Amino acid sequence: MIEGIGIALFVCLVFAWLSKKAKFPPIPAYMFAGLLLGAGGLGIVEESTVSQFLAEAGLLFLLFTMGLELRPDEIYGQGRSFLLSGTVDLAINILAGYAIALLVGFPAVDAVVIACAFYISSSAMAVSSLIENRKLAAPESDTILWIMVFEDIMLLLIIVVLSSGGKSPVVVVSTAIALIAGFFVVCYLLRGFISEFLERYEDIGLIFTFTAVIAAGGIAVVAGIPSTLVAIALGSALSITRPELLEKHAKPFRDVFLIIFFVFFGISVDLSSGFPVVEVVILSLAAVASKLLSSLVIGKAMHKNYLSGIEIWSETIARGEFSLAIAATFGSPLVAGTVAVMVLVTSTAGGVMGKYSGRIKKFLKKKSLSPGLSG
Amino acid sequence: MSFTSRDMPGIGTKYELDTEEGDKVSIVYMEDEGVQLYVRSGEGDYCSADLTPPEARRIGNVLTGAILETEEEEICMVFSSFADLKVKMHTYKLGDRTAGKSIADLNIRRSTGVTVVAVSRKGESLLNPSPSYVFDKGDSVLVIGNPEQMKRFEEAFVR
Repeated sequence: MIEGIGIALFVCLVFAWLSKKAKFPPIPAYMFAGLLLGAGGLGIVEESTVSQFLAEAGLLFLLFTMGLELRPDEIYGQGRSFLLSGTVDLAINILAGYAIALLVGFPAVDAVVIACAFYISSSAMAVSSLIENRKLAAPESDTILWIMVFEDIMLLLIIVVLSSGGKSPVVVVSTAIALIAGFFVVCYLLRGFISEFLERYEDIGLIFTFTAVIAAGGIAVVAGIPSTLVAIALGSALSITRPELLEKHAKPFRDVFLIIFFVFFGISVDLSSGFPVVEVVILSLAAVASKLLSSLVIGKAMHKNYLSGIEIWSETIARGEFSLAIAATFGSPLVAGTVAVMVLVTSTAGGVMGKYSGRIKKFLKKKSLSPGLSG
Repeated sequence: MSFTSRDMPGIGTKYELDTEEGDKVSIVYMEDEGVQLYVRSGEGDYCSADLTPPEARRIGNVLTGAILETEEEEICMVFSSFADLKVKMHTYKLGDRTAGKSIADLNIRRSTGVTVVAVSRKGESLLNPSPSYVFDKGDSVLVIGNPEQMKRFEEAFVR
């Protein structure tokens, strides 16, 4: 059990180093490591209850830190362009994902989960690519980052919708709303106390952060709503205290536990026996193409320029942590395998495009001197 | 001159300046420590630099008016609560005149008025050296004082 986790982490360590050297996103590398080690590959490492717990903790820490970034007051001030670009991205990609999943033969229930994973881009890969490839000065980078925020909010809704399948949605939604409102009220009333606490005692702040995230999982079990939802809500509510300190404490846990989540996701997936490879590759390529469509529309609308759309596309192609989270929480084994392949294909394409988008834009600009493209 | 700042969710804060000449300077403060500096002349491409916090501070010091020479740097500060006081900090590279003598031997404070705040030898710095600290040739010192005191120090020990 523990030796399996040790082996998996060691292989990830090697892959992390390689991906750093190659300046390539590490998330697909971890998953690929899992595919190699797991059921569909060499069969060296198996899932265990311990690995499942650590992987779930990774997911909760990820969503908690994502929640910390969801500051209701800042989002409220964003206005129309935020809603516009977010809605275009949502509508085009979720509909395309659903339609194509049905077309290549997935059952309707699976197609819904796939559509959600198909829609949501990887914030982690977009952020690190924007920094790594020195794109932060470009106005498109702001658009990209706010699209990611919009997607984060949609993830909340997706979790609510998907988890209410089977049960009465009214019960899930009302429990969730009551709980989220409760968090906000408690955090609002105690914000002075919590802030002072976090500022003054570094070590206790660390324990507080860890406890908050694990407790979120516990509260979810008791209330009968998804732990992922509770983690986001708690993070968002606590963002009115000292989010930067909480993030500092949560980050090391998130970074390590998430690697376990990625590698064991790969380990649990079996792509060998009767897996519809051709269909899933078509779906993955469609995932690259549909982001191109939505990005061109957003680029033209927000920056009056299709070339800006190419830039937005290059940073939103990669699907990653959130798609895997959706698949791990709500998908059948077939869906999990499908999303794994989709993440591998799109993140590879995204990694390449993120690096070379500048050259592609230059090339297109030259071409477009014969009129049409840039306008 | 318009300096704008914008929140970049997940990254940090972006500060942008459009210069009178039509150039653009963007500075991104990242939550994970560090700063990225972008400069674009006219409608050209951006050039960028990835800075550690000390590097960013150093550039900031130079931009706020420090004189940067090969071996000497200086900053001049005025604190709002000490508005009548002009505090200078200056680094010097020491030569033969001080070699082999200690801070107390040279009687630096009494004869010039400046205080030696730090010394640096072969890249290793020491803050608040004791009066018994003995200088070598090639040591650098960081001294603090007002402009007249600084001048006296230069005449007595550096030039």
